[in-house]
Amino acid sequence: MNPAIRLSLMLVVVTSLASAQSPAPDKAPPKFVGNTVCKTCHPDVSLNFYKNPHYKNSAGCEGCHGPGGAHVESHGNKTLIRAYSLMSPPQVLNACLTCHSRDMPRANIRRSSHTEADVVCTSCHSIHKSAVPKFLLAKVQRDLCYTCHTTVRAQFEMPSKHRVNEGTIQCTDCHNPHGTFAATWRMGSRPMVNQALNNEEPCLGCHSDKRGPFTFEHASVRVDGCETCHSAHGSPNARLLRRPVVFTLCLECHNGAGTFGRRNDGVPLQTPSHNLLDPRYQRCTVCHVRIHGSNSNQYFLR
Amino acid sequence: MRALILICVSLSSAMAQQVVAPTSADVGPRRGENMGDYNVVNSFEFGYRYSLIGGDLGKYRSDVNYGNGVRLLASSLTVNSRDGKGRIFDEIVLTTLGLGNDPYQSAVLRVQKNRLYRYDLLWRLNEFYNPGLTIAAGQHLMDTRRRWQDHDLTLFPQSKVRLRAGYSRNTETGPALSTIQLFDDRSDEFPLFTNVRREFNEYRVGADVELHHFKLTVLRRWEFFKEDTPVSINGAESGNNPNDLTVLTQFHRSEPYHGETPSWLVNLYTGRRYLAVNGRFTYSGGRRNFIQDETAFGITRLGVADNRQTLVFGDARRPVVTGDLAFSVLATDKLTITNNTSFHNTRIDGNSSFQQFDNFTQTRHFINFQFLGIRLITNSTDAQLRLSRGLSLFAGYHYSTRLIRSIEFAGLPLASQTNHLHSGVAGVNWNPVKPLRVHLEGEVGRNDQPFTPIAERNYHALSTRVQYRVSKLQLSTGYQQRYNNNSISLTAFGSCARNYFADASWAPNGWFSFDAAYSRLHLDTLGGIAFFAGFGRANLVGNQQSLYLSNIHSTHLGARFALGKLADLYLGFSLTRDTGDGRATASQSPNPIQNVLTGVQTFPLSFGTPLARLSVRINEKLRWNAGYQFYRYHEYFHLFNFDQNYRANTGYTSLLWSF
Repeated sequence: MNPAIRLSLMLVVVTSLASAQSPAPDKAPPKFVGNTVCKTCHPDVSLNFYKNPHYKNSAGCEGCHGPGGAHVESHGNKTLIRAYSLMSPPQVLNACLTCHSRDMPRANIRRSSHTEADVVCTSCHSIHKSAVPKFLLAKVQRDLCYTCHTTVRAQFEMPSKHRVNEGTIQCTDCHNPHGTFAATWRMGSRPMVNQALNNEEPCLGCHSDKRGPFTFEHASVRVDGCETCHSAHGSPNARLLRRPVVFTLCLECHNGAGTFGRRNDGVPLQTPSHNLLDPRYQRCTVCHVRIHGSNSNQYFLR
Repeated sequence: MRALILICVSLSSAMAQQVVAPTSADVGPRRGENMGDYNVVNSFEFGYRYSLIGGDLGKYRSDVNYGNGVRLLASSLTVNSRDGKGRIFDEIVLTTLGLGNDPYQSAVLRVQKNRLYRYDLLWRLNEFYNPGLTIAAGQHLMDTRRRWQDHDLTLFPQSKVRLRAGYSRNTETGPALSTIQLFDDRSDEFPLFTNVRREFNEYRVGADVELHHFKLTVLRRWEFFKEDTPVSINGAESGNNPNDLTVLTQFHRSEPYHGETPSWLVNLYTGRRYLAVNGRFTYSGGRRNFIQDETAFGITRLGVADNRQTLVFGDARRPVVTGDLAFSVLATDKLTITNNTSFHNTRIDGNSSFQQFDNFTQTRHFINFQFLGIRLITNSTDAQLRLSRGLSLFAGYHYSTRLIRSIEFAGLPLASQTNHLHSGVAGVNWNPVKPLRVHLEGEVGRNDQPFTPIAERNYHALSTRVQYRVSKLQLSTGYQQRYNNNSISLTAFGSCARNYFADASWAPNGWFSFDAAYSRLHLDTLGGIAFFAGFGRANLVGNQQSLYLSNIHSTHLGARFALGKLADLYLGFSLTRDTGDGRATASQSPNPIQNVLTGVQTFPLSFGTPLARLSVRINEKLRWNAGYQFYRYHEYFHLFNFDQNYRANTGYTSLLWSF
């Protein structure tokens, strides 16, 4: 049987078993009061709610906040309604995932670094007072991410950087804050990076000329990724490189030692014609112009 | 409530501004205006941006690149149906940035009608400039323009059966300067002028179907890439090295490179109270066809006239298959366990037929072939346990096995290697009182055969963060550490990265807010290197070390003052300073080899940008804005006797209005 068909059948069987779980036990009969009653005390929320995406889908306020009868009878006791400000992070996550779990970008949210750090839906999304209408973000996306990722903000203020502060690039162009499938992207790294173009590195989504396939691949690019040589957010060095000059970057791998490289006998050393004291040999990419991969030269010379 | 909103707006506006324009101020009624059955909120900022640059213009264009001219600095438009029953649409959201003249432009559009359709457009433009750096012999200059557009249409977005269609396009065009080495691998390099023409198109269709707690997503894509960049040199060209006798009198290259990547994605999800399962399968079959026809006329480094034609043609393939299966078990309200298994297989192979004719005689003819296969299987199990409302623990174990198979040159036997990674993660989230959050996390990993000398082998990472947040004040501080040791018997590599940070945002009232952040990013790496050195006959120099030390201090300050209801003043400052290893100058060594290495062990520089912006309210629907931002870039070492320092005075004036 074709492996793809076999895998698909396995998925169907496994998910069938999962769906056969017994349903949740019934809760106490709800006392619903309707939107009009909510509006009496929460006019500021209610007045603009027609602009909210939840307006189109949910069963009004009580669709998310639960039955409001006891809350109204107690003259606004927050503990008698599903108040997200009082809920623990897992409770918030479970409440939102009741509807939002089925979208593929959130398939890995349970094991994402954000969830593990108790960063859940309401940490970034503001349902009633969003600063950004699309996705109901609490702030402009970059500022939202910078709130916690201060060091990343510092990287985007370096001379050489992707244009996030300028507005062309967004964090979610490369990252999925809800967790990703990309455990396979790089060993020992879990930066919730989106895989571009179905299953490749996110960088290639824009830098399509580096994608290949090439007849002669620079193997470290494919095996360990672009970050072998580049700092993706920002760098003091030109072209987001990890070193100010290119020859140190190259020599740190191409030292011929150990069991590294494609043939387990070290990443090849350069030939004796390369006299490092001569400045022309300190500029590796002047000759090795197709350093990301070439179709016509195994040394990336053309 | 109103005060709270003002404070929130103040906090968010104080956080934002690294670029002086556009203006972050509200204009027009916050709730918008009703027009028929719709509510409209809009703002447009139209103005003039200027820049005066002293010093290295190329480096300024590489880092900042704002120029002079009139432009629509920003705009925002939202139109909402008040009853959710608009005739053609229920919502339009449009935001733009820098349209008309800025080097960074974007437009984001969403149009939707409830239950019928949703259309999303993302259009972006980026002017990319790379100076011809001295470290690249003044070459490899690029002055290109990249444009992206993504269109996505979803039919019946709120139903159980959704249909999707999309189109993306990514083009890069513009002049560039590259190099070619002729006539052999010891000869001179010549500048090569190119006119970059790259184009990527993607078409996609798909559907989401929900049935009995299952959701099936199917997506089919077709991606097409082509590059037809022409290359030429006109007339006699001297090379980079004056001592080399090589002369190139004529050069021409045609290099069409076309390919396609059809792909499939299937995802199946089901979730119930105690268990959620997700499975995904993707396949993409990348293929590129190429031909390179190159002619060169000139004199070789040995002084012999040569005319050469090189013809290379072939194809390359890269099928990629991935599969993922994830289980989330919600055992109790306090315990969540997830297990994920991923499979990722990349197989790259290709061949190229190489023919070279020197002086009309075929001198070389061979067929090259290369193969690289990467198969990665990972399994991770993570558990999160909530001990109390304010305390949770998490831990995980991750295992990866990677098989790499390779044929590097035609005729070589297949080489293979297997790498196993074991890593463990553990952490704690502590929320003792509502405003205070403490997060501590650690990871330890062991790789038994990393692919490169600088990859992770024995590594650990620590991360801690403490945050205090109340409505008017947010304070946070933290520390991150990543250490890696990839040392074996013949070579050593170690890297230590330590980051410290602290930030504060304070908005005591509606007229003042303050934001400050400081980060220190420390990195030191030590790698064993070997190379050849010496004029005449170069000797192998082993047992050398490549040391790199970077100490980056990054500071950001911002303060916003509301001068009554009349005006807003924003003052900001950001400074990035790499103090290197503390040396004032690149130290010189009598040993020429040490001299080459010590000069590049550290790269101290500073990059600072103070800014000020004033926004004056003329009436409820109109504001006048003006701003100034100064950029100063300074390198302290004169690497290769060259400075790229610059100072730039930039600013803008604009009108921000709402109809």
